[in-house]
Amino acid sequence: MDGVDKDLPPMKSVPGVDRDQFEDFLHYEARLLDERRFRDWMGLFTQDGTYWVPAVPRQKSPFDQASLFYDDRTLMETRVSRLGHPKIHVQTPPSQTVHQVGRPLVEAASEETGEYVVSSTVIMVESREDNQRIFAGRQTHRLRRDGDSFKIIQKRVDLVNCSAPFEAIAVPI
Amino acid sequence: MDGDIIRTSARDIAKLIEPGRVSRRVYTDPELFELEMERIFGRAWLFVGHESQVPKPGDYVTTELGRQPIIMIRHSDGTVRVMLNRCTHRGAKVVNERAGNARYMSCLYHGWTFDTEGNLVGVPVPEGCTASFDMKNFGLALAPRTGEYRGFIFASLARTGISFEDHIGSMKANIDDLVDRAPEGRLALDAGMHRYVYRGNWKLQIENVLDSYHVPFGHASTVNKSGVQFARREGDEKGAVVVDAKEKTSKDWQGRRSYDMGHGHGWTSNTALDEGRRSSPAYDEYVRVLSEKVGVERAKEILTPKLHNSLIYPNVSIMGLNIHVRVIKPIAVDFTEVVVYPIRLVGAPESMNFGNVRLLNVTHSAASFVQTDDVEAFGRAQKGLQSLQTEWVDISRGLGTESPATDINAMTARATDEMVVRGQYKAWLGYMQEAV
Repeated sequence: MDGVDKDLPPMKSVPGVDRDQFEDFLHYEARLLDERRFRDWMGLFTQDGTYWVPAVPRQKSPFDQASLFYDDRTLMETRVSRLGHPKIHVQTPPSQTVHQVGRPLVEAASEETGEYVVSSTVIMVESREDNQRIFAGRQTHRLRRDGDSFKIIQKRVDLVNCSAPFEAIAVPI
Repeated sequence: MDGDIIRTSARDIAKLIEPGRVSRRVYTDPELFELEMERIFGRAWLFVGHESQVPKPGDYVTTELGRQPIIMIRHSDGTVRVMLNRCTHRGAKVVNERAGNARYMSCLYHGWTFDTEGNLVGVPVPEGCTASFDMKNFGLALAPRTGEYRGFIFASLARTGISFEDHIGSMKANIDDLVDRAPEGRLALDAGMHRYVYRGNWKLQIENVLDSYHVPFGHASTVNKSGVQFARREGDEKGAVVVDAKEKTSKDWQGRRSYDMGHGHGWTSNTALDEGRRSSPAYDEYVRVLSEKVGVERAKEILTPKLHNSLIYPNVSIMGLNIHVRVIKPIAVDFTEVVVYPIRLVGAPESMNFGNVRLLNVTHSAASFVQTDDVEAFGRAQKGLQSLQTEWVDISRGLGTESPATDINAMTARATDEMVVRGQYKAWLGYMQEAV
């Protein structure tokens, strides 16, 4: 098991951190998903990066509890390959999505390690065939500085209705 | 909605099922669905929950049997009680939480209060009760019959009918197969749940769990270029060989068998998936712990893959491959909810249990690689079945070629045949022809 839950020390304020760079990054990430550039999206993650969508509010661990998504790099690779497969029936026709990402809040930062925790509200509207539905919640990105951009150590999306039953979900939120 | 009107005499219902085919109306007719709720879900032995969901006195979970709201609660004497979650006063659902602990359950509406046996123990403003009002007559309605096997709790909402032993008997070995994998000999359904819904009839799901014919096609997107499915279990190097070099269903896959156990129950066998190549620190430690507990030979026997999926008709399947318990909840003729519980093998290293929980996310969650294509198939079946001019749904594969499996008193066929679906409709007809 990969250890991803290394909590950064909580900080009361994050002086000198430019919020815009996070906002740009989150919007870029959302755009990759909306353009179905899933392989490029996966490329934003570190090699030990994880993508987590809990199935209960305030879920503490992805290991002892079911999650909607908890993909490490291997599972992410399988998911992304499948999304590119010509016979993925649940994406025939494919979903069209649009993400709305709220103003990010820098929750924690460590300039020494170049690691940041950034949270933002997210709404994804998905349309497929004649149906449209909404996914909404708060997303928390644990980021590591990578040159003039970032890599994602973990993306966690806490949906407001995470415990509800869902119709099939094929694309990441 | 469907425009069909059928009369509900036993003779008319019998016309819906013929050898090797069933009428489309069993999937689309709202009146038949209402009858199913009465005659199957109002009567059959239904899986309610697992005792590990309510470990301490007062612990409860709420669920639905068919559409009926249910409370499963552990009483102070340690026994698990199953009762209807419906206030005996004006009908409100009493317990609204999905799980919790309570000494008393109070209705939100007028405050009627019940204990963990369902007894009515408090009525506000008692001076308004009539002289003949007796609190003893107003306890929460208990499920008339309950039964338990190795922690699996079932209930029947009818006073009479086949006994629990007679109903479950032929499937005990399938429950054993799973429970015996736990070093402590017991399971825990305490790792949350997956819930998904689809726009299709409930029977599409119970037919699917025993359908080995669809895998190379329905799940093509989970199979790589060399025909191998992604690894689905802790320690597996790779998954099953599903498709051969000519893109045909592989010999390995075709070799699987299905078993009709009577009463609508059935199961499909598993081939020696990755036998001998299954290894990871978590899995190896698990094998060591199990062997220590039950002996090396017995552990080997337990860990030899035998079952892919088992269905205990009508509402629960137990999967031996990606271990889980799956409960089917019909909501409307064309809308179904399915709840999937991950299983913790008590006594196994937690890293092994965690691995099982994690891989179930990608096989059977609403966002999984496998189940999503199945529910797409169910939705398209429900749409296709609206074709009025084509009355019959074909389930004839292997008809007449079934053979007895005398050692387990069952019938067997190729897993790519449809014998087990025919078995389900035989049971269906049995319930449906008998008026409540």
